[in-house]
Amino acid sequence: MEKQMENGSERVVLKVEKLRIHYATPQGDVIAVSDISFNLYEGETLGLVGESGCGKSTTAYGILQLVQPPGYIVNGSIEVDGTEVLDLSEEELRKFRWTGLSLIPQGAMNSLNPTMRVKDQIIDVIESHEGKKSDKQSMRARILELFQNVGLPNRIYNMYPHELSGGMKQRVCIAMGVALHPTVVIADEATSALDVVVQRIVAQTLVKVKDEIGVSLIVIGHDMGLLAQIVDRIAVMYAGKMVEIAPVENIYAEPLHPYTRLLIDSIPSIKERKPLKITEGITHDPRNPPSGCIFRLRCPFAWEHCAEVEPEPIDAEYKHEVACHLYDERFEERRANAFATFANP
Amino acid sequence: MGAFSLNYLVRRLLVFFLTLWVAATLIFIIPRLAPGDPITAMVARLTQQAGFVENADLIIEGWRERFGLNDPVYVQYLRYLTGLLQGDLGYSLARFPSTVSELVGRALPWTLGLVGVATLIFFSVGNLCGALLAWGKTPRLVKVMIPMSMIFTSIPPLLAGLLIVYVFGFLIPIFPQAYAYDYNFARPELTLEFFANVLYHGFLPAMSIVLVTFGYWALGMRGMMITIEGEDYMILAQAKGLKPFYVLYRYMIRNAILPQMTALAVSIGTLVNGVVLVEVIFSYNGMGTLIFTALREQDFGLIQGTSFILITTSALAVLIIDLSYPLIDPRISLEGR
Amino acid sequence: MAEDKKVKDAPVAGGTKQAGVLNRFDNPWLNWKFLSGAGILGFLFFLIFLGYQLWDTNLALSARSPLNLPPPGFTNWRGQEGVPEHPLGTENSGRDMLALIIVGTPRTIMVGVIAATVGMLIGILLGFMAGFLGGLFDDVIRLAVDIMITIPSLLVLIVIQAVLGRVDLLTMALLISIFSWATPTRYIRAQVLSMRESGYVQMARLSGVPVRDIMFKEIMPNLLPYLGASYIGNMQGAIISMVGLEVLGFGPQRIPSLGVAIFFSIEAGALFRNMWWWWGIPTVILAIVFVALLLINLGLDEIANPRLRKAS
Repeated sequence: MEKQMENGSERVVLKVEKLRIHYATPQGDVIAVSDISFNLYEGETLGLVGESGCGKSTTAYGILQLVQPPGYIVNGSIEVDGTEVLDLSEEELRKFRWTGLSLIPQGAMNSLNPTMRVKDQIIDVIESHEGKKSDKQSMRARILELFQNVGLPNRIYNMYPHELSGGMKQRVCIAMGVALHPTVVIADEATSALDVVVQRIVAQTLVKVKDEIGVSLIVIGHDMGLLAQIVDRIAVMYAGKMVEIAPVENIYAEPLHPYTRLLIDSIPSIKERKPLKITEGITHDPRNPPSGCIFRLRCPFAWEHCAEVEPEPIDAEYKHEVACHLYDERFEERRANAFATFANP
Repeated sequence: MGAFSLNYLVRRLLVFFLTLWVAATLIFIIPRLAPGDPITAMVARLTQQAGFVENADLIIEGWRERFGLNDPVYVQYLRYLTGLLQGDLGYSLARFPSTVSELVGRALPWTLGLVGVATLIFFSVGNLCGALLAWGKTPRLVKVMIPMSMIFTSIPPLLAGLLIVYVFGFLIPIFPQAYAYDYNFARPELTLEFFANVLYHGFLPAMSIVLVTFGYWALGMRGMMITIEGEDYMILAQAKGLKPFYVLYRYMIRNAILPQMTALAVSIGTLVNGVVLVEVIFSYNGMGTLIFTALREQDFGLIQGTSFILITTSALAVLIIDLSYPLIDPRISLEGR
Repeated sequence: MAEDKKVKDAPVAGGTKQAGVLNRFDNPWLNWKFLSGAGILGFLFFLIFLGYQLWDTNLALSARSPLNLPPPGFTNWRGQEGVPEHPLGTENSGRDMLALIIVGTPRTIMVGVIAATVGMLIGILLGFMAGFLGGLFDDVIRLAVDIMITIPSLLVLIVIQAVLGRVDLLTMALLISIFSWATPTRYIRAQVLSMRESGYVQMARLSGVPVRDIMFKEIMPNLLPYLGASYIGNMQGAIISMVGLEVLGFGPQRIPSLGVAIFFSIEAGALFRNMWWWWGIPTVILAIVFVALLLINLGLDEIANPRLRKAS
C-alpha cells in the first residue's frame, strides 16, 4: 500500500478540543470520553483504536453530534473547517451534517431503511442537502458512478437492502457516506461485522474511495493489523483518554506510551508466539477514575508522580503526541531505566 | 418448519377457506347439539310468543326440507355446504317467503359502509396520533391533547354508542337518533341530498366506533415508533441530516405502519362484534340490526345466514389486508416466504 | 493544548434531566398506570363489599321498590321526585338501582374472570407448545389461531344462544371462553419464540437443562408481565362479549347483571324517557371497570417493555 506524501497536509480539517462525554446512570455519571483533544489533517486517514468500552465509538458519535441519551456531551469544542459544530442551531446542524461530517456506520446490516430502495436512500440524502432534482437521468448517472467507485454492480440500483449481502450493504453505506463529498468521513468499525476476506476488500474500497474523492477519514476499529494497512496515523484510546497519537510507522516501530507498547506487543504473528502481556478490561470504576494517570493501575512503570499529576499530551515527534510522564524531560533517566528492565525481564 | 410450511399466498388462502368451512360447520352443528328437534322447538316457541304463526305448517315443512331431517347427517351436511356454495342461505322464518339472501343483500352494504368509513378514520387518526406522541419534535401542547382525547379508549363501542346517542341525539338533538337515512326517502337514491343524509345519520354510529378505537391504535403506534427510534437506520437517518418531517414519515411511520397493518387484520373480528352492537343501538339498517330483529323474531334461518355472511365478510377483509401486505413490505413477497 | 474549556450544556442529550434518567431504574412495578388501574378496581371492590354489608341486596329483585323513581333531587317524566330510600333511583319493574349495582357488578366481573382464566390457561398451554415444540404442533396451532381470530366471536355466540336460549352466568362464561384462547395463544407463542432465541435460553439448552425446566424456570418468570397484560386484555374482551350478549337479550333475568340492566332499559325506551339513571349508572360503572383494566394493561406493558416507559 503506497504511503501518502511523507508529511501530509498541514491544514487542519477537524479540531477536537477537550471533548468530554458522560453517560448518566443512577449511581453517577460514567465518564465515557474524558477531555480528548486531537487534530485531523486534510486528506489524512486517522485510526482510532482501543479495547471495547474505551470510548472510541462514543468519541465518533460525539463528533457527529449523535450521542444517544443517557449519554451527553459535557464540554468540548469540535471545529470542522473552522465551523464550531456545537454552536450550530438545529437547522444549521442538519444542513451541516453529511456535507461536513458523514458516517459509515458500525452495523451496516441494520443501518439501511428496510422499506426503501437502495437508490432512494442515497437520493434522499442528496436531495435534502441540494434540493429536489428534476433531472432523473443525471441523478441516476451520479448514483451509478458512486456504485462504481465502491465496486457495486448497477443491478442493485432498484433493489431493497434485504436483497443485498452484508458486504454489499457496507459498500452502499460507503457510497452513501461520500455522496456529498464531505470534509470528514467517520467509519465506525465499518468492517467488524464482515468475514475476514470481505473485511479486507471493503477496507481497501474505503481507502480507494477516500483517495479518489479526497476527503479526510477517521477509521474506528480494534483490529490493529487491518488498521495498520489503511491509516496514516493511529490514535490509541484507553478508558476515555487518548494516550498516544502517532504516524503509523512510528507506532509500530517504536510505540511510546506503555499501553501502546503492550497493545503492539500483543499483536499475534505467525513467526513467533507471544505471551499476552495485557490483561483484558479496564480495572478501575469508570465512575470514579483514579487520580493522576488513568493507566497507572495497570502500568508496569507507574510511580508516585503518576498518582499525583495527570499527564498532558507531550509532543514527542512531528504529529506524534503521547500522554505519559515518562516523556517529560524531567524524568528522562527513569524512562531509560524502565525500558531497560522491560526489555529484559 | 413442518409439513404445513407453505408460501404466503397459499397459507392466506388456506386460512380464508378454512375459516369459511369452520364457520359453516359450526353453524350447521350447533342447532343439532341442542336437545330435541330444533325446528319444532323453535316454531313452538314462536307460536307461544305470537299465539299464532301464519303458514306454520309451511314453515315447518320448508325447514324440514331444508335440513332434510330424515336423511343421514352427512347427507344433510353435504347438501347444506353445496347450498352455501351456490349462495343459497334458505328462507327467512319470520318473513317467509323472503330469502335470507335478499334480506342480507339489502343490509350488508350499510354495514360495509359504516365499518369501512369508521376503520378508515380510526386507523389513520389513531396512527397519526401515536406517531405524534412518540415523535421528538411534536409540540408539547399536542402531546398533552392527544392522551386527553383518548379517554374513551377501551370502553365497548356499544356503551359509547349509548352515551353518544343520549348526548347528541337526545339532550342536544343535533344528530338523528336512529336509522341510516330519513324515511321521507322512500328508498335509497343516487342524489347528493340522499348522500348527505346518509353521512348525517352515519356520523354518530361511526363516532361511537372511532372514539373508543383510535386510542388503541395510537398506543400501538407509539410503541412501534419507540422501537423504531432505537434502530440503527434511525441513527444513520439523523447523521444524514435529513429533514425531520421526512424522517418522520419515510423512516419512522413507513416502518411502524407495517405491524399496525398486521394488527388491523387481527382486529377485524373484534371490530365486527362492536359494529353489530352499535347498529342495534342506532337501529342502523345493517347486518347488526338484522340479526337483532331475527333474534326477536326467533328467525333461526336468518340468524344463521346473517352470521355466516358476516363471518365471510370478515374473513374476506382479513384476506384483502393480508394480500395487500406484500405491497407495502418489500421483504414479504407473495411467492416467497 | 492547554486552552480554556468551552462549556456546553449537553447539547445533544437535549432535555435529558438527571432525574428523568434515574427514574428508569426504579422498581418497574411502581408504575403509575398499573397502580392507579389496580387502585380504581380495588376501590370499586371495596365499595361493593361495603354495599353488601350496608345495603339490602334483596332490593335488586323486581317489585321490591316503587317504579321508575329518579335519584333524589331529580324528577322523572311523570313528575315524581326521587326519594332518599333509593339513592340511585329505581327502574320500571321496581328494582333498586343501588342494590342492582352492588349485586350486578361482581357478577359481571366474575364472568370476565372465569372466561379470561379458562382462555388464558388454554392459551398458555397451546402458546408454549407452538412456540417451544415447533413443527407440526406450531403449524396446526397457528392455523387454528388464525381461524379463531378471524371469526367475530359474537356471531357464533349469538347462534349458540339462539339455540340454548337464556343461560346462567357460568355457562355464559364458558361459552365466551371458547373464543378467548386464540389471542393469548398467538401472543404467548410470539413471546416464547423470541425468548427461545435469546442468549440465556440458548445457553440453558446447550448446557442440557431439561425442556420443562427451561419453560418454567427460564422463560415463564420473564413472561409474567406479558402474561398479566394478556390476561387483562382477555378479561376486557370477555366482559365486552358478555355485555354484548346481554344487551342482545341473553342473560339471566331474575338477578340482573349490568349488561342485563342496560338491556331492560333499552327495551323500555329509557333513553328517550330520559331515565338516564337506569342505563347510565351501569354504563358508567362498566366504563370505570374498562378504564381501570386498560390502565393495568398499559402499566403491565411498560413493566414488560422498559422502552415504553420513555416519558411522552
